Amino acid sequence: MRVVIVDYNMGNIKSITSALKYLGISEIIVSNQGAEILSADKLILPGVGSFAKAMVNIKNLKLDKYLEEAVMKESKPILGICLGMQLMCESSEEDGLTDGLGFVTGKVERFSSDGLKVPHVGFNQVCFEDNSRLYHDMVNMSDFYFTHSFKMQSDARINQAYCDYGSEFIASYEVSNIAGAQFHPELSQINGLKLIGNFLKSF
Amino acid sequence: MLRKRIIFTLIYENGFFNQSRNFRLQKVGDIRWLERNYKFQDIAFSLDELIVLNASKSDKGMAEFAKTLSELVDDVFIPIAAGGGIRSLEDAEMLFANGADKIVLNSALHIDKNLVEKLVEIYGSQSIVASIDHKGHDEFISDGTQKLNICLDEYIQHIEDMNVGEIYLNSIEKDGTGFGYDIGLIEKVTGLISSPLIIAGGAGNERHLIEGLEIENVNAVATANLFNFIGDGLQYARGELHKAGIDLAKWNVDMLPDLKYIFHGRDK
Repeated sequence: MRVVIVDYNMGNIKSITSALKYLGISEIIVSNQGAEILSADKLILPGVGSFAKAMVNIKNLKLDKYLEEAVMKESKPILGICLGMQLMCESSEEDGLTDGLGFVTGKVERFSSDGLKVPHVGFNQVCFEDNSRLYHDMVNMSDFYFTHSFKMQSDARINQAYCDYGSEFIASYEVSNIAGAQFHPELSQINGLKLIGNFLKSF
Repeated sequence: MLRKRIIFTLIYENGFFNQSRNFRLQKVGDIRWLERNYKFQDIAFSLDELIVLNASKSDKGMAEFAKTLSELVDDVFIPIAAGGGIRSLEDAEMLFANGADKIVLNSALHIDKNLVEKLVEIYGSQSIVASIDHKGHDEFISDGTQKLNICLDEYIQHIEDMNVGEIYLNSIEKDGTGFGYDIGLIEKVTGLISSPLIIAGGAGNERHLIEGLEIENVNAVATANLFNFIGDGLQYARGELHKAGIDLAKWNVDMLPDLKYIFHGRDK
């Protein structure tokens, strides 16, 4: 299986690569090249940092066009992690309103800091539906590692799983070939390895 | 519900890992020693995070530190924070490229506000841990060697104004003693801190970790005590914390053998 991690200069890719190696993936490619993205069996869109800056990097590298083609036209499975999950939404209010890739219906907003420590950092429990592919064979309310100041909301049916911090927000979504996780599966111990394995198997 | 965290801090100096006592370092062993006595692939399952600090005195040897970091964190699937001597964007970038998920800043918080703000802008608040070294009524930088003339509440304000993600509060007096955290200090400041708070300095056994985490606004306890938590010490401590009702994350280590190389040879 050829897994391409989309590199647009935002975030620690080493731990994702390390998790894929642990699972025994034969071809792990870190790239910002259109041809590599279009040759992938599965894609991973990682990322930490600013939404607006990420979109600038993505557009400068023309990755928006390649991702659109790979994900929306060729239906290649993709897993967005943390910022990568948010980038596939319609927009974010981080640094003013910025358009995202628009693959999934939803918006990204700041945590209201009313008596709440922001960023939301640490392991927190995720509540998912029984028929979820990402959490197949896992115990409901499993722990995953979060570290973020912005969260995603959506009124659409995108098979969302939820996490609670002050109020409920979207911990993950799964729509046909597209999956996104607000938490970092690659930093979530055994639960995270299991989830990445589930993505690679069932998407 | 957001869980509380146990963090292990490794103190690195010129190729060796150290036991620190009141910020005086005692060389314990190199990375091979560490692998023998603290097999990170195993003990990581007793931890929520790992912090690795470069306490090398004169020449920080950032490249070699980064290389050690990179070796250390292979096959460890928990967040890693690294720091010590970060003075430029390039230093930070090198640590992020070698496996750090977050960086820890100490002296830069006082001497280079621009750098801190730039790092927050590039990597986001959640990637920046601000470390405060406290002794008596004073704050210190440069591995505890330089005293700042600023009181703790002002310093916290100064740090939070730069939008850092978390605060790591270390007591130099309690550091490495194994006598327990400086609970008086911590209770005094928790109300002033609106960022997630990690406390450090003094933990010698699981009761100290429990005592720290029972304070409402404390989000994480850190220990750097290589001697007291050697072997299966951390695993034991985590078990005791669970039993004491501390709200810690759970995972099933028995699932691991089924995941290793699961796609190997059948992922075509």
